[in-house]
Amino acid sequence: MELQKFYYDNKIVKMFAYATILWGVVGMLAGVLIATQMVWPAANFNLSYLSFGRWRPVHTNAVIFAFVGNGIFTGYYYSLQRLLKTGMASNWMTRVHFWGWQSIIVLAAVSLLAGFTTGKEYAELEWPIDILIALIWVIFGWNMMWTILKRRVKHIYVAIWFYIATFVTVAVLHIVNSMEIPWALFKSYPVFAGVQDALVQWWYGHNAVAFFLTTPYLGLMYYFMPKAANRPVYSYKLSILHFWALIFLYIWAGPHHLLYQALPNWAQSLGTVFSIMLIAPSWGGMINGLLTLRGAWDRVREEPVLKFFVVAVTAYGMSTFEGPMLSLKNINAISHFTNWTVAHVHIGALGWNGFLTFGMIYWLFPRMFKTKLWSNKLANVHFWLGTLAMLFYSIPLYWAGWTEASMWKQFTPAGDLVYPNYLEIVTQIMPMYYMRLFGGSLYFIGMFLLVYNIYKTVKAGEFVPLEAAEAPALEKEGARKSGESYHRFIERRPIQFMILSIVAILIGGIIEIVPTYLIKSNIPTIATVKPYTPLELQGRDIYIKEGCYTCHSQMVRPFRSETERYGEYSKAGEYVYDHPFQWGSKRIGPDLWREGVKSGPLYKSDAWHYTHFMDPQKVNAQSIMPKYPWLAESEIDVEATPAKIRVMQYLGVPYPAGYDLKANDDLKAQAEAIAAGLKTNGIDVAASKQIIALIAYIQRLGTDVGDSKTALK
Amino acid sequence: MSNIDENKLHQAEPEIDELTKDRYLGGHEYDGIRELDNKLPRWWVYLFYATIIFAIVYLLGYHVTKWWPLQEAEYANEMSVVADLKKANPEPVVDLATMVPLTAAADLAAGEATYKKICIACHGPQGQGLVGPNFTDQYWIHGDSTTNTISIKNLYNVVITGVIEKGMIPYKDQLSPTQIQQVLSFILTMQGTTPPNPKAPQGAKYPKIG
Repeated sequence: MELQKFYYDNKIVKMFAYATILWGVVGMLAGVLIATQMVWPAANFNLSYLSFGRWRPVHTNAVIFAFVGNGIFTGYYYSLQRLLKTGMASNWMTRVHFWGWQSIIVLAAVSLLAGFTTGKEYAELEWPIDILIALIWVIFGWNMMWTILKRRVKHIYVAIWFYIATFVTVAVLHIVNSMEIPWALFKSYPVFAGVQDALVQWWYGHNAVAFFLTTPYLGLMYYFMPKAANRPVYSYKLSILHFWALIFLYIWAGPHHLLYQALPNWAQSLGTVFSIMLIAPSWGGMINGLLTLRGAWDRVREEPVLKFFVVAVTAYGMSTFEGPMLSLKNINAISHFTNWTVAHVHIGALGWNGFLTFGMIYWLFPRMFKTKLWSNKLANVHFWLGTLAMLFYSIPLYWAGWTEASMWKQFTPAGDLVYPNYLEIVTQIMPMYYMRLFGGSLYFIGMFLLVYNIYKTVKAGEFVPLEAAEAPALEKEGARKSGESYHRFIERRPIQFMILSIVAILIGGIIEIVPTYLIKSNIPTIATVKPYTPLELQGRDIYIKEGCYTCHSQMVRPFRSETERYGEYSKAGEYVYDHPFQWGSKRIGPDLWREGVKSGPLYKSDAWHYTHFMDPQKVNAQSIMPKYPWLAESEIDVEATPAKIRVMQYLGVPYPAGYDLKANDDLKAQAEAIAAGLKTNGIDVAASKQIIALIAYIQRLGTDVGDSKTALK
Repeated sequence: MSNIDENKLHQAEPEIDELTKDRYLGGHEYDGIRELDNKLPRWWVYLFYATIIFAIVYLLGYHVTKWWPLQEAEYANEMSVVADLKKANPEPVVDLATMVPLTAAADLAAGEATYKKICIACHGPQGQGLVGPNFTDQYWIHGDSTTNTISIKNLYNVVITGVIEKGMIPYKDQLSPTQIQQVLSFILTMQGTTPPNPKAPQGAKYPKIG
């Protein structure tokens, strides 16, 4: 057979690798900044674009989509070409993919810091960027499928199965969860509201973990682990079974983020049981990774790359056991909204994604630069520093999580909360926040050791931009042969493989999401629930803009400890006009859903809220809430009111016809009443300021049903 | 799913890995990566089965046979225990006409706990006043100006009815009469203290409350 000559494009790999390192530094720096602000709120220097609520999404987006995202593409471009024995089908598409992805990251960072956000976790980017992401993602996937079709290897390897599943699923998740109607160039409202929005968001959010942080990295593991160890993959049969089980089951697990919340019970139960069924498929990947090292364990002691991989895969195994446990109702009742969740996700992020990326980078650079790693010793130091960092990061936060949960839930024998003042609980876990900052900083320092080591390696070596290779062309093969297994057959049918993957991932999503629209009893209507007034709507947009959801939930769960502390528990029908929902996932501060209920345990006056927003430490010396002085200076965007009302009407919110043009009159009247009230308390602030709208919104929270007498005790 | 057939196709003896003595799969080689023909680990298969059985039992038990309560019923159970607790410890009757400040340490401690839970937000940690008025001076907004006297009874009414236009809500639903008496007694112990940053006096000056 005639050998064909071709080249592997290393340049695109190098570009993505540099981007991975750069965004890794930025993402981790953002993490260190917000960890600092949690122990020292003044670290935002009272500047809106440095505040916690804006940097927290920058941190999560930078780590997930910039650091890990570029990490995926680095390993993907290196492995795909070699596994298929071909260069990429289209060079311009690889370049558009690279520059497109980097510009998305820059746009994301700038727009998030400027306060443009959808307020949906890990999907905070606004609609123009969403469209750009979809385009770039399709270009990446198109080029991949095209390259697969041009391959010189008959079957596609398990790593590529994972790449294909990643491509199709992320596309579906991103497009569905980003459906939104713009009311300005950089602002929109999502088409889903309340319970549906929560369900779609966590279907997306959980599967961003599954199909962005997990499946592509399993693909990378299946390539780099056997390569670095020079050992065969433990079991092909396990690969098949765990791959299909993983992608089919994962998509159902999203509702475990909404246990004991205002989601129909059946959807919660599906989230729980599918999470439990995920243990074995997830561990299939861990087993296949770790057992691939059989016969090479002696080299693990010597080789930093293998060490990073072993800890990465172990962290994966730990996370994928802990995750299902956290999906059990009784454990979730303790863990949810606490720092336990934060510790859990960082085992995944620092251990699995971080360490696999570091190992891959230490392995790739010497090969692309035809040299040895500059210092194995320094890489070893990085390994130990990183491992230690994970312990210092996670153990205090586990401790903090359990402390918070037990303080939230304790009652005196007489039946009162032992810790009714939320601040006491915040103060109690401050030492843990300090230790977390220490752990995070260690990890960040480790990253600099990598930067230096790679810099020295690059200096010492000579880059090979195009690596020559040769292989015979692929012979055409038709229908399944007798004796050929079905799976082996589909492995040489990439398009059918892709279609099967789409079917596997669509089933769960459709079964969970569609019924909440079709079955009325899933979200019982509450007659007293009315749309927000124009001023409250404006205030809500400020709440979203400042990222209040990063510290406060709007979801009172049906527990005595929560109804005692906050008031009546949340009902599904209360949120029908919430585009987007703002239930939150973390209570750094208290829940706010019953904040406006005058007869409830949380109510405070407008003057209190004003004073508190301006200077939380004046009200509570130990508070870690940032100050918001700019809200008393910035004007409410009244020009946008009509457009906002029209989009809401389009989405089914029952404002009367023609209300868009009258809305500002109501807005001004309500604002002036609040400003006049503040004046009697000696606070002089114009009715046109943003803080007035935010106070109006806060005082509205939970009042549609929460004011009734029965709601009290 | 087996690939033994494919090995037959190749008509070759399966190759054995020297280090683990496991069988290689013929024809499975990708950029130098080979795959072994190992069976699924038994314990892994049983684990998978166990989780599937768990899932079926869980769904049946919660949604079909109703063995276990769903969240609304769980909450109702939890609250019925609280109702029993309240029944077992009935509120003592408080007579406003004869009310005087309490002095027992236990009452003052209970009052302090309530103060820290509720009043602190607007009146400050040391009663120095913040959004709400200062408790440490001799000036009061809600005294009886006709007789120029103020007593715990006047303050009790403020707590019960609230001063809603100023942002003070009625606390009659949140606090029992005893709790109100206790917290007012605690507040009165702040009289004459000199905390830093006191709020300027509001209202009229009254003789010290006894």
